[in-house]
Formats: sequence, structure tokens, C-alpha cells
Amino acid sequence: MIGKLLQVEFMKLKRKGIWFLVFLGPFGVVSLQMVNYGVRKEWFLHQGTYNWDYYVLNVSAITPFALILGIVILTSFMASIENETNTWKQMLALPITRWSVYLSKYTTLLFLLIIASSLLAIFSLLFGIYLDFQNDIPYVDIIRYSFYPLFAALPVLGLQLWISTVIQNQGLPITVGVIGVILAYMAYFIPDWLIWKWPSLDNQWNEPLLNVYWGLAVGIGIYFVGMIDFIRRDVK
Amino acid sequence: MEYIVETNRLTKRFGKELAVNGLDIKIPKGEIYGFLGPNGAGKTTTIRMLLGLMHPTSGTVKVFGKDLAKERIEILKQIGSLVENPSYYPHLTAYENLETIRKIYGAPMERINDVLTIVGLSDVAKKKVKGFSLGMKQRLGIAASLLNNPQLLILDEPTNGLDPSGIIEIRNLLKQLAAEYGITILISSHLLSEIDQIATSVGVISKGNLIFQDSIESMRLYSMRKILLKVNNSERAWHLLISRGVKADYEKEIISLSNMSDDDIAEVVRLLVENGYSIYRVEEEKRSLEDTFLQMTSEASGI
Amino acid sequence: MFTLFQAEWFKLRKTNILPILFTGPIVGILIGLFANTDMFPDEANQWTGLLLVMNLTYALLFLPLVTGILAATICRYEHQAGGWKQLLSLPVSREQVFVTKYFLLVFLILVIQLLYFLSFTSVGLVRGLTDTFPMAIVWKSIVGGWIATFPLAALQLWMSTMFKSFAASFSVNVIFTLPAILAINSAKFGPYYPWAQPFSMMYVGGDTTDVFFIPWEQLLTVVGGSFLVFFIGGYIYFKRKPI
Repeated sequence: MIGKLLQVEFMKLKRKGIWFLVFLGPFGVVSLQMVNYGVRKEWFLHQGTYNWDYYVLNVSAITPFALILGIVILTSFMASIENETNTWKQMLALPITRWSVYLSKYTTLLFLLIIASSLLAIFSLLFGIYLDFQNDIPYVDIIRYSFYPLFAALPVLGLQLWISTVIQNQGLPITVGVIGVILAYMAYFIPDWLIWKWPSLDNQWNEPLLNVYWGLAVGIGIYFVGMIDFIRRDVK
Repeated sequence: MEYIVETNRLTKRFGKELAVNGLDIKIPKGEIYGFLGPNGAGKTTTIRMLLGLMHPTSGTVKVFGKDLAKERIEILKQIGSLVENPSYYPHLTAYENLETIRKIYGAPMERINDVLTIVGLSDVAKKKVKGFSLGMKQRLGIAASLLNNPQLLILDEPTNGLDPSGIIEIRNLLKQLAAEYGITILISSHLLSEIDQIATSVGVISKGNLIFQDSIESMRLYSMRKILLKVNNSERAWHLLISRGVKADYEKEIISLSNMSDDDIAEVVRLLVENGYSIYRVEEEKRSLEDTFLQMTSEASGI
Repeated sequence: MFTLFQAEWFKLRKTNILPILFTGPIVGILIGLFANTDMFPDEANQWTGLLLVMNLTYALLFLPLVTGILAATICRYEHQAGGWKQLLSLPVSREQVFVTKYFLLVFLILVIQLLYFLSFTSVGLVRGLTDTFPMAIVWKSIVGGWIATFPLAALQLWMSTMFKSFAASFSVNVIFTLPAILAINSAKFGPYYPWAQPFSMMYVGGDTTDVFFIPWEQLLTVVGGSFLVFFIGGYIYFKRKPI
């Protein structure tokens, strides 16, 4: 059943420009570095930081923040597809369980975000190769910095999906999202327990994997809270 | 009797407001059940509870003899529905819209073309629904409700936005579905004339209460036949009737008899003639169903 | 025109606008409290330092983004259930409707700016700042930031009349706002990028001899120019929009 529902979800994404956004996110992140390296190449050379490691760090500085924005936009898009003419009432009167509807929305979003993260890894690699650094390509780091933030951002994904499916007025989920974006932007100044900090992979123990574990654990927790609320609600 | 839909003290409360109050709806198999009530009477809320979209505050719903709270999925496999305003994805074509639903039912692909033909949308199958008129969207909604060859159709104001010829088409379609395939249909409306032309049984809801539920014939009977008699010496004639145990009313020189069969009336006339009264007129005061409906709902709101 | 404004205000009061307006001060307080005092420049007045740190995120990201959210909010109820066609079949011109919506939008942004001012002073008091309050500089920043959103507001109103979906107009907003992060680091590009102007106008470190923190020429050409382009664009679009 989930398989069929996923096919249906992807059908609904047609002509919505969502695939363009999935491309634009990672492309935007890398193109910021294109500008950065275009303008300041000499400076990097002068500082002795014109190398792969420093480049990967530069890319990853923007990733968390772009990721949170992407989550906010994509979840709101997914919810607005059903909210626009209230297709919830049509869909939920079909012989499917509500949890499978919620799960298929979540899975679709996760799939889109995995595509975006993969594109990010590819774009970072390609532009890095173009920059022609002297040291070896740190494949593992590139993959790590492309996917760790996604796992660490699962609580935010769960939260945004929850509020954008249960609140009709998309202004509110987007506002909550913007606050999250601001917090993600200030990641290094906010306390470790705030979920918006986690995608930055920064914590007081300097152990990025911790954020990934927290993200998975709390992400699953928030997912269930949202799903249970979604199941219990009356459909207007 | 086998009921396809049977609710028991079905109640829904929104905060302080009692939207639906202890409904006992009974819909026998193969009937077209007209669910009638003014706007805001609780029709849509009831229908949402029948489909499991809303959870009742109290009471139960049984469909096909199964408990909706326990076997929702099994029940919904056999139901086609259209709730309130049509729901559709504006950026998808009519065909694609139906495809999103067909996949979930697992119905065969050809079924999409079948239902599009049934509702007369084959020509615009490849057009985006964004540009459809309200009537076309409504037809699309009806098409969607037929995708799974349902045993029970639940249609909330299905003729909304349709032009007169469209209304007739849909009416004939529903009659045909009921007659040929034995599909049970619940159709809600705030217009009695519409229900009158299609339904075989009727439930009237007002302010959340079911105030009438029976066959359409009983409703017609209920609405008809107040017989007015004009005779000479009418007050004495009335006393005579009363003394012989006839239920009669007297007002302004006119004797009125309600809810009596033809034979009863013949008997009353014979009685008067045999006792030497001159009968000037025997008239039938016929209330339209519309009047009856209005009277029912206003009586109910008077309570 | 004024009655139209009153009608708009009435419609707005019934929506969830308050939570959105209060995000201004909330974000201000969050930034202000989380910010590290080490970031304050040593030599400057403490208040100026605080304002500098708070504006960094507020003006660069929050203000442009919230402008888009507000624009979409005041168009939301028109997109639902055929509000546009009802509104425009009243005896009002489309021009009046567009201009009224625009005034309402800028007014809301002003409210946000004032609430942000309150949160700024609260953060300062909580942190127990003792320096004299640099009234002139603070107001220059608050009002300057407001004026700098005029072109952004015009573009977002245009996008919000065009797209039904919040997500769509928000995406446009994000696509234009993010490059501002780079633009402000570039002396060449920064002064010309409209989405970087709220930051420049609120950036306390700028030239303090002028009325605002950016030169008059830049204010008139970049802010004024982009305002004209976006406002006229949106105005023409709305006049021709098939409802």
C-alpha cells in the first residue's frame, strides 16, 4: 500500500516546480562558493587555505541553513497540494489508513531531500575538481558533510510536516520555519539542545556523529507525535 | 430488514455546540436515501462521520453490518463518496486526478475511461482541472466516487453547480445505478424538490436532530390530505361526527379531517348525508412537500 | 481609499497575523540573548554593539523573509474561495486595491520594526547595559531598515497576488534573499543588491554623518529604483490579472 501511495504522491508533484527547487538548493549552496572562490581565490592562496579540506568546510558552512530552508519550503508545498481544495477529505475517505498517508508524505519528502543531498555531494565534488586543489579528494568528508546534516535535521522535518499538515494557514508553519532558519544561521551561538542547531554538526564535544544520533532518535519521536496527532484529528 | 447504513445515537459536539444529536439513521439495501435539511443542519458533519473523517463524540456507525470504528478500511473499499465542495488537484488533468485515486483502490486502468464517459468528461480528460467550471469539477467528483464500483454511494449535495440538464443526467444516472446494480445511495440536499424526484426514502435533519425518517410515500402522505367539508348547520354536524368517534376539527364554519383514507372519508360523507345534512363542498387542501418540509423544520426549531 | 484600508484592516484582524508580527521581537530576543558579548566591538557603546550583533541576522535574513510572509498573508484570504472576484466586483478600482494592500503591508512591517525596537531595548536592559542609549543611531537603524524593505514588499506583493500557494511566493523570496549573505561581503556588488539594503540601512557601522547609514545616492537609486521597478511591475500585473 505504501508503494502505491508513494507513486501517487510523486504524481501529485508534477508541474509544481518541486524538482527545480530540489536542484536549486544544492546548486545555490555550491554557487555561493563559486562566487566566494571567484572573488577571493588570491586570498585563500595567500592564507595557505586553498585546499580541499578548507573548501569542504566552506561548503558545509551554508549547508545546514539551506537544508532547513529546503525543508520548510518542501513541506509547505506538500501540504498546500492537499490544502488548496481540501483534498484531505477525499483522500482520507479512501480505503487507506491515515498512518500510511502520513508516512508516504514523510517518505516522499525524505526522498526529495536525499536527492538534494546527493546533488550537493556531486556539485561540491565537481566544482572542487574544477578548482584544481593540490591535495587528494576527501570523498568521505564530502559525503559526510552532505548527508550528516540531513539526518541531524530529521526533527525539523518532522516538526514542519506536522504543523503544515494540521494547520490550514501555511503562513504559520512558514513563520515557524523562518524562526528555525534564523536559529540555524546562528547555530554556533545557540544551546546544544535546540534541534535547529543539530544540522550544523556542532556540539560542545566536537563529535558530529552525536548530532546524527540525536537527529535520528528525536526525529523518529517527533515523527510519531505528528503522525498520532494527524490520525486523531477530525478532517474538516 | 437488512440495513446498509445504521447509526446508533450518533452525536457530534464541537465545543459547546451540538452539531449532530443522537441520530438513528437506517438505510435499507438498494434504497436511494434522501438526506434532507436546511443549510447548517448537520448533514455534512453526519456524512463525515459516516466516512470516518470525523470521530463521533458518542454513538456508533455500522455500514454493511460492520462497525466503522473497527473495520473502516474494509468498509471504505465498498463506498464511493463526494463530500461538500469538489476536491481536486488543480495542476493535474482530469485523468491524472482520477489516477491518484484509482491507484489506491487498485481498480483496473480502463475504469478511468469508463467513469469519465459515464459523467460525460471524456473530451476534457487531458485538460488541467484548474480551468474547469464548477459543474465539471462536480462531475469529476462523481466520477471519482464511481471508480471502485461501490456498493454504497455517499453524495453530499452532488448537483451543486450543475445546470438543469446536468442535474437531470446525474439524477438518471443515480436511478440507473440503484436499479441495475442494486447500489444503495445516500444523497444529501437542502432542496426537497430534488430529493422528491429521486429518493425512495427520506431522512429530515434539523438543528442536528433527525425529525423524520420513512419512505418518500409516507412523507407525501404526511403532507397531503386535509379534507375540508362545508355543510349546512356545520357546528351541529361537527358535534355529530365527534360523537361517532370521527377525528374532526372545526373552524370558521368548516369541518376539517386530516390523515384519513379514502374509505374513511366516504364513510364520513355517508354519515352526514344519512343524517340529513346538505354537503356543499368536499375539498382537498393539499400542502406541498415543500410546505411540509418547512413546517417540519420550523416545528423542530420551535422545540 | 481610507474605507478600503479599514476594510483590509478588518479582514486582517480576523486572521492569524499577530503570531507573525510577534516573531519580530521573538527573533530579536533570541538573537540578542544567544549572541556572545565577545562579538561586541570593544571601543563602541554597548548599545551600539548589541544593535550591531542583533541586526546582523535580523536585517539580513529575518526582515526580507518576513516581508514575504506578510505579503502572502494579506493576499491569502483573497485567494481562498474567490475573494478576489468578490473584492474587485465592488465599486473599487484595481489600482486602489493594489495600493491599499501595499500600504497595509508597509504598515505591518513598520509594526514589526517597532516591536523589534522594543525587544532590542529589553535585551539591553536584561543584559544590564549601562552606557547611554544612542537614540539617534537606533532610530536611524529602525526607520532605515523599514524604508529598505519598500522594494522587497512591492515584489513580494506582486508574487503573492500571482501565486495562490504560500510556498511558491516564499521560494521566490528565499531565492533572492540568500545571495544577500554574499552580497554584503562584497564592496562592489553589495550596494546594488536590493535584498542587501535592509542590512546596509540597519548597519550601524556605516557612515553616520548622513541621515541614514547609506549615502543618499544609493538610497535613491538602488532602493528607490528597485522600488519603482517592482511596484510598477506588480501594479501592471495586478491590473491585467484575469480573475
